[in-house]
Amino acid sequence: MAGEVEVLGDVAARTPKDALYGRVVREVAELAGREVPNKLQSNGDGARNDSVFFLQAGPDDSLRLWVGTGTGEPNLRAIRSTQIAPDHPTDLRVSGFTIPFRVASVRMQDGSRIYLGLSERDELRVLRSLRSRFFLLWLLIVLLGFLIVFFTTRRMLSHVRRISEAASRIGHSDIHTRVPTTGRNDEVAHLALTLNGMLDRIENSMHQLHSITDSLAHDLRSPLTAIRGQLEMSLTDPRHADPSLGETSEPIVTAIEELDRLTEFLNTSLDVAEAKADALRLTRTEIDLDDLLRSMVDLYEPCMSERGLRIRLISAGSLKIEADAALIHRMIANLLDNELKHLPAGCVVTSRLQLVDGHAELILEDNGPGFDTEISAHLFECRVKGKGSKGHGLGLAFVEAVARTHSGTVEALNRSQGGAMIQVRLPLSSGQKTENAVSRLATAN
Amino acid sequence: MRLLLVEDEIDIQNFLKSSLKEAGYFVDAASDGRSAEQLAIEGEYDVLVVDLGLPDQDGISLILRLRQLGVTAPVLILSARRSVDDRVRGLEHGGDDYLTKPFALAELIARLRNLLKRNSSSGGEATKLRVLDLELDLLRHEAFRSGHALQLTPQEFTLLEYLCRNAGRVVTRSMILDQVWGMRIQPDTNVVDVHIYRLRGKVDGKGQTPLIRTLRGVGYVLKDQ
Repeated sequence: MAGEVEVLGDVAARTPKDALYGRVVREVAELAGREVPNKLQSNGDGARNDSVFFLQAGPDDSLRLWVGTGTGEPNLRAIRSTQIAPDHPTDLRVSGFTIPFRVASVRMQDGSRIYLGLSERDELRVLRSLRSRFFLLWLLIVLLGFLIVFFTTRRMLSHVRRISEAASRIGHSDIHTRVPTTGRNDEVAHLALTLNGMLDRIENSMHQLHSITDSLAHDLRSPLTAIRGQLEMSLTDPRHADPSLGETSEPIVTAIEELDRLTEFLNTSLDVAEAKADALRLTRTEIDLDDLLRSMVDLYEPCMSERGLRIRLISAGSLKIEADAALIHRMIANLLDNELKHLPAGCVVTSRLQLVDGHAELILEDNGPGFDTEISAHLFECRVKGKGSKGHGLGLAFVEAVARTHSGTVEALNRSQGGAMIQVRLPLSSGQKTENAVSRLATAN
Repeated sequence: MRLLLVEDEIDIQNFLKSSLKEAGYFVDAASDGRSAEQLAIEGEYDVLVVDLGLPDQDGISLILRLRQLGVTAPVLILSARRSVDDRVRGLEHGGDDYLTKPFALAELIARLRNLLKRNSSSGGEATKLRVLDLELDLLRHEAFRSGHALQLTPQEFTLLEYLCRNAGRVVTRSMILDQVWGMRIQPDTNVVDVHIYRLRGKVDGKGQTPLIRTLRGVGYVLKDQ
């Protein structure tokens, strides 16, 4: 600005003070005014530019030349009342203008002074509009960023959720399915691929385990079949029916019974081994535990009363689970066999079936001597059995294995009032859950 | 009755052959899938007994192949595998049966008989069963011995009915558990025996000829002569 003032001063000094003088000065002032970007034409007359003025005052402070909007009188008055340092721009407040002019002055040789005033109004306006635009842009960018992050995260998370859902399904049902892959090349796709790779390895080792147990079972069963067959044939052989030889069949009978026990032991220990590796193969059907327990109690009741035991059944009615029938049958038979083998005469066995937290809860309790305190912490481990037990120590390990593969739990403890209690919890079938919900609704209404 | 036995273990093949012959079957035996296929096409068999673990192929594929070749005779599958394969179950639903090793001969023979009976589809069900002087009214669930009514629980009646239907033939404990209670379990206690003792107490009264006989190590038989 000081530079422009000098130019003006220079022009004023050299130019003869004729008619042309005013025009030249006006044009220079116009040019100076045009340098302000984004000028606002205001104060009505439009053509005039009120953000710039040029004023020449005589030595007596009279107005000699005025270029600008209006008469220039207010500006001159303001200049008179303000000390304006030469060669140094000063703020000048002019009545009628809210924003001060920046004024520079230069003294001419003839004692007059030239003032050039520039309003900062336009700059301020430009700055303000820049600021608001910048703020708007910033807001837009932030919003856009937020939206991008939101949708990307949601998409990614939905992917992760699908993967984790698939993974949990795999955990509980079958090992053959895989988590979904996207085919894209990102971290989530990598996660899916890694998971699938892991599942491949698990399936592989499970397959290995199955083929080992299968071939073990096969290799043991074939000779067992042959031996059992031979024994049975020699038992039904008419020569043994001879009364004088009657007693010779006794060892054969014992051998057959031992073979059957061995077979059962083989089956159970392989089942327990597979269940411990979460690899037990299930064929699920819907089982009504109430029905099953009733026929089990029917089956065991005569044998129990033969030994002076009583058995009671307390059940609220039908409770359906989705489970492998053969395994559940063997599990309950196992529990009842246990009671039969370990209880002294006179005891009462209570089997209770109830619905607890969406689970079927089967409780078997007695008022017998309870579990040996020495082994009660290891009841569900293989080969753990009480001192007097003649079993193979797989009974409760098998019960636990079956409950576990059906996503259930088993607890065994000695009751405070004496006797043992075993509690098996198995998840209800989905059908039964809806039934319960419906009946709850019905009672609520 | 002509029977084709497909079993690669010679020991098992031998005793099965002789005991099946004893049970009244004409038995041909094959040790592998190929010779079994040959025999099955050439000969007309009423029933087949097939072991799943054959040296040259899987028993299931053999059965499927035979079915393709037009062999319609029922098949009893012998399996040494622990858990029964889904495909075996599939076949079982198709009218066939399976037995896991080791098995009781009596059970094998009973299952074969069932298969053949199913196949020949006997006429309408009888409403009365009679074995010697024992009579069962299946409609009214009443049992009589020499004209006297027996006081049986529903469970005992079902058990007696099962024994009567198999009169003269051996039934094993696991057959009884399977057929009467619907469970394939192997209790290591004498639960079945106690039921039989009780039933015997009611059926074989004092002074009567005992009908229910125990064959130790094998099972039970209801005498029919």
